[in-house]
Amino acid sequence: MSESSKQVKWVEEPELGFWEATFVPAIIQGLKTTLNHVISHKAVTEEYPEVKPDLPLHYRGVHRLNRDEKDRVKCVACMLCATACPARCITIEAAPAPKDWPDRDKFPKSFVLDELRCIYCGMCEEACPVDAIELTHIYDLTGENRDDLMYDREKLLGVYDETKDNPRDPVRTKRGKLGAAADFQGLPTLGPATDVAGNDRSARTGTSGVIAGSGAPAKENRS
Amino acid sequence: MTEILVTLLTVLVVVGAIPGVCNYLILLERKMAAWMQDRVGPNRVGPWGLLQPLADGIKLLLKEEVIPGHVDRALYIMAPMISVFTTMLALAVVPFGPVEDAPWWLRFIIAPNIDIGLVFIFAITSLAVYGIILGGWASNSKYSALGALRASAQVVSYEIPLGMSVLGIALMSGTLNLEQIQSQQAAAGLLGWNIWIQPLACLIFFTSSLAEANRLPFDLAECEQELVGGWHTEYSALKWALFFLGEYTHVITISFLTSILFFGGWHFPGIATAESTYMFAWLVKLMVLMTKVFMCIILIMLLRWTIPRFRFDQLMELAWKIMIPLSLFNVVLVMICRHFELSNVWLLTGSVTMFCVWGIVSTNMRRSELQAKSPGYRMAAAAPVAATSAASGGHH
Amino acid sequence: MATVIVNNTPVEIGADERLNCIQAAAKIGVEIPAYCWHPALSVVASCRMCLVEVGDKKPDGTVQMQPKLVPGCQTPAKDGTVIISDSPKVQEARKATLEYLLLNHPLDCPTCDQAGECFLQDFSYRYGRGYSRLQEPKNEKPDKDHIGDQITLFTDRCIMCTRCVRFTREISGTSELQVVSRGSHEEIDIFPGHPCDNKLAGNVVDICPVGALCSKDFLYKQRVWWLKTATSVCPNCSTGCSVHVDQNEDHVYRLQPRPNPLAQGHFMCDDGRFGWKYTHSEQRLGSPGLRASGQIVSKDWDSVLQSVRGALKKAAESGANRIGAMISPWMTVEEAWLLCSYLTGLSPKVTLAMGPVRIVGEDDHYPKDVKGRAVEPVTFTIRAEKCPNRAGVELVLKHFVKEVIPAEELLRLAASGQFKAVWLVGGDPDGWISELQAEAFSTTDTVIVQDFLPSPVIRHATHLLASGTFVEREGVFVNHRGLAQLIQKAVRSPDDARPDHRILWDLAERRGLFNGDALRKEISEAVPSLALLANSSLAENGVILR
Repeated sequence: MSESSKQVKWVEEPELGFWEATFVPAIIQGLKTTLNHVISHKAVTEEYPEVKPDLPLHYRGVHRLNRDEKDRVKCVACMLCATACPARCITIEAAPAPKDWPDRDKFPKSFVLDELRCIYCGMCEEACPVDAIELTHIYDLTGENRDDLMYDREKLLGVYDETKDNPRDPVRTKRGKLGAAADFQGLPTLGPATDVAGNDRSARTGTSGVIAGSGAPAKENRS
Repeated sequence: MTEILVTLLTVLVVVGAIPGVCNYLILLERKMAAWMQDRVGPNRVGPWGLLQPLADGIKLLLKEEVIPGHVDRALYIMAPMISVFTTMLALAVVPFGPVEDAPWWLRFIIAPNIDIGLVFIFAITSLAVYGIILGGWASNSKYSALGALRASAQVVSYEIPLGMSVLGIALMSGTLNLEQIQSQQAAAGLLGWNIWIQPLACLIFFTSSLAEANRLPFDLAECEQELVGGWHTEYSALKWALFFLGEYTHVITISFLTSILFFGGWHFPGIATAESTYMFAWLVKLMVLMTKVFMCIILIMLLRWTIPRFRFDQLMELAWKIMIPLSLFNVVLVMICRHFELSNVWLLTGSVTMFCVWGIVSTNMRRSELQAKSPGYRMAAAAPVAATSAASGGHH
Repeated sequence: MATVIVNNTPVEIGADERLNCIQAAAKIGVEIPAYCWHPALSVVASCRMCLVEVGDKKPDGTVQMQPKLVPGCQTPAKDGTVIISDSPKVQEARKATLEYLLLNHPLDCPTCDQAGECFLQDFSYRYGRGYSRLQEPKNEKPDKDHIGDQITLFTDRCIMCTRCVRFTREISGTSELQVVSRGSHEEIDIFPGHPCDNKLAGNVVDICPVGALCSKDFLYKQRVWWLKTATSVCPNCSTGCSVHVDQNEDHVYRLQPRPNPLAQGHFMCDDGRFGWKYTHSEQRLGSPGLRASGQIVSKDWDSVLQSVRGALKKAAESGANRIGAMISPWMTVEEAWLLCSYLTGLSPKVTLAMGPVRIVGEDDHYPKDVKGRAVEPVTFTIRAEKCPNRAGVELVLKHFVKEVIPAEELLRLAASGQFKAVWLVGGDPDGWISELQAEAFSTTDTVIVQDFLPSPVIRHATHLLASGTFVEREGVFVNHRGLAQLIQKAVRSPDDARPDHRILWDLAERRGLFNGDALRKEISEAVPSLALLANSSLAENGVILR
């Protein structure tokens, strides 16, 4: 007997008796339940404009574009968010970075996010290699016309300025100051991206940029 | 002259009151739904949301009226009108108060002394399905068409038990005139209410009228899961509102009919009897009738939020395999009782016996059906190993 | 017949085939990764990525393996050669090589244009170790955007395969690129003041296996995984290079050469590579039109085509030889066929002329020597005849008329008032008719112009048919040596313009949508010299008609 067939539990369709066939007891029972709710009514509704919702920390609201420590846009215009986006709401135009940004090849000349098309799935945040795009807790998004909700680069940076000090919206940067693409040197040790043999000497040394193996315990992080 | 004025006034009262009443019934229904589901319900417009119907009405009036390009315009516009018109027309012969005790300026029935009252009602209310069919067909959309098809099949099926169940009442009373049916009950007192004499007919009547009115659990025609909005998918704004006005008017009609046919209309022992002659007796009687109607409406609403929607084959099974035979036997029973002039007790016991017999019969029917449908089912349950290996062997 | 054994599978090699181990293995679909080796360039065996185990199968059946791994690109596959590319030894070697190649690579894939079609990514994913053991800081080398007008160099991404250096030495002969410095400080660079601006320079971007050499034109425009590719043929000269047209959302972003031994080989020139820009020109004719009270007024296609049919019918009824047509050498064989058969169907005697064939200078052969003179053997030729399909159109015209007259003759006849109606097909983005020439049609009753860019003759046009460029059309181009190749539709025409094949299909009132296969079958049956058009290999490398 295979493992899966062991897990199969056979249930019989319950036999219908006389009372079931007449529907009457079931209907009365149902009415009893609903009536009970009417009589001992206790609403669980949150009355929104007066009572603000208590959102979970992973709530996905309006996007923001983070700034790096020099107040430049962190985005490197790799367009991975636009690629990952299932709603195709992100349009990026890239350009060579200004000459006085020596650490960068590429930056977003324009970055437009259609908040109306967006489905707030957070895939852009997942895809971003430099932690530039993040979803905030802002949910009450309104505009007077469609163009108001086409968020461009400056508007998205504005959302960052607005939310960065909010304890609910910490900059969730996991990597270095600029992220992997721009700042390879400062990478902390990460988990393995591929399977690593347990006896591989190199996999056991935890150094910057090295992906520590799962087969053997990583040595202490360099710090 | 007075006659005409009184008629006009009555018509005005009815036609004026119905939309307002419907609006507030919708509010009530929404509130009821909210209470049952531990919510608050409409509470933004006015105190306790009491102005919500007004806001809704204004919204529906002012809303952009979308007529899709692919519809048959004439029929598309006509359909909601038919829907409202027919249901309102049916109310013409329904006595909505004590007709005999009416004050001189109001009559409580638009068209008094119609001897074919019941036939008229059924003739007109079954026309209401034309609104749905035409609306669905003229929308030129598959969802609408499917909804309309379902609605027509359903109405055609439930028309039969509906008529049959009332036939028993007509046989007993010897009249089709609603006022007379009511006054006969009033004269016979509490135990003379038809519910005691023909409970089965009452059950069939009430169930089939829910189906006639496309109310839950029989609103297959606007089944959202499969059909978006059903026959009114392509409708918006006022035309959409008219459909709903029609539906609610239908609910009101049903409630009136149920109260009058089976629950003695304005009669209530001790307060409002045929002998009550005190001042404003008509008002008390009116209130009694209205209370009964209101209770009936409340029951319909409770049922809506309690019972899940039927599957279409179950719906048809209920009509053709259960309600039609039962209502036929019920008519036969009434005829026998009338012919041999048996007492009403026999009718009551006959009704209950039939109900029980049918329950037992259908229980056994279902059991054998189940066995016929899946002969391997029980075997599989008995020997799961063999069944899985056979299944995996057949898999390629 | 020689037999090579690749991973225990015997591979037959033809008697005159001279293959190395990589090519022999590729015959049965076994990939031996390589960076520095390129089929059109000399072998240097410097990247060490293609290391495989090689041995000999003796006549007595024993196999003797060489003790060391050898580069597959440099080892000829002979009868009895045994190649093993999947042993642990080979796999370890590949891991080591990749780790080494990546030592100084910045791993900036997110911002690198090559990402998605990068051999470093692909081979690292398939054969790499997945992590690096480097503890020292990486070398940072400056980007060099001065190395050419069309190309830019991200020096730190380079893995020193030297394909680009060999290309400029062996194919273009211009030798602008070289390797400077030594060891881990090696860099690609130019001789100071001599940028890599030859007409084949764009090819170094294609042959660069990593993201070091990038095209300035394409830089940061698109991520390559968004691009959809159609096979096509470069229309800019009669060499007819096979190309890939890469587009996204109806916008062409680049042309890349498609290796085709029958056509041009592996490369293409920059004239063709960047010669598609007019497709997205602001000037494009956006909708068909009719002349009404002196102005060309936009109309819907149905009424324009109806009017065209009426005017031509009237001209045909007014007498023999009152219709003239200029069949452009930029048309495909199918389009020329559709138009010619429609016109001859109206009036058996019509004048069909070959449109103007633009000749610029002389054929430009590569490689060049230091003085810029072409040297033998020729590796690449940019032809002087700047149109894609003169040969094909000529074959079609010869089927319909005894003598194909040149465009000038038609102009002369038109000026003499011979025609009641003329049909002029443009298609040359660099202009095909002058102001003066256009005056020849000033007195003609009906002038039907089918073109996608404005030209002087539109002043006299009565009917305007807004057509498509080569990326919007489907059909066959025949190059200078009679090679018929298929071009495929890559993008939709802008606004209300329609590709020529569709216009002419609708004009002829043929049923349904344009059906290229059926039409080519029809042509191949009617015209013996085009009989091979029905050949199924047309879509791949094309067929040689003569």
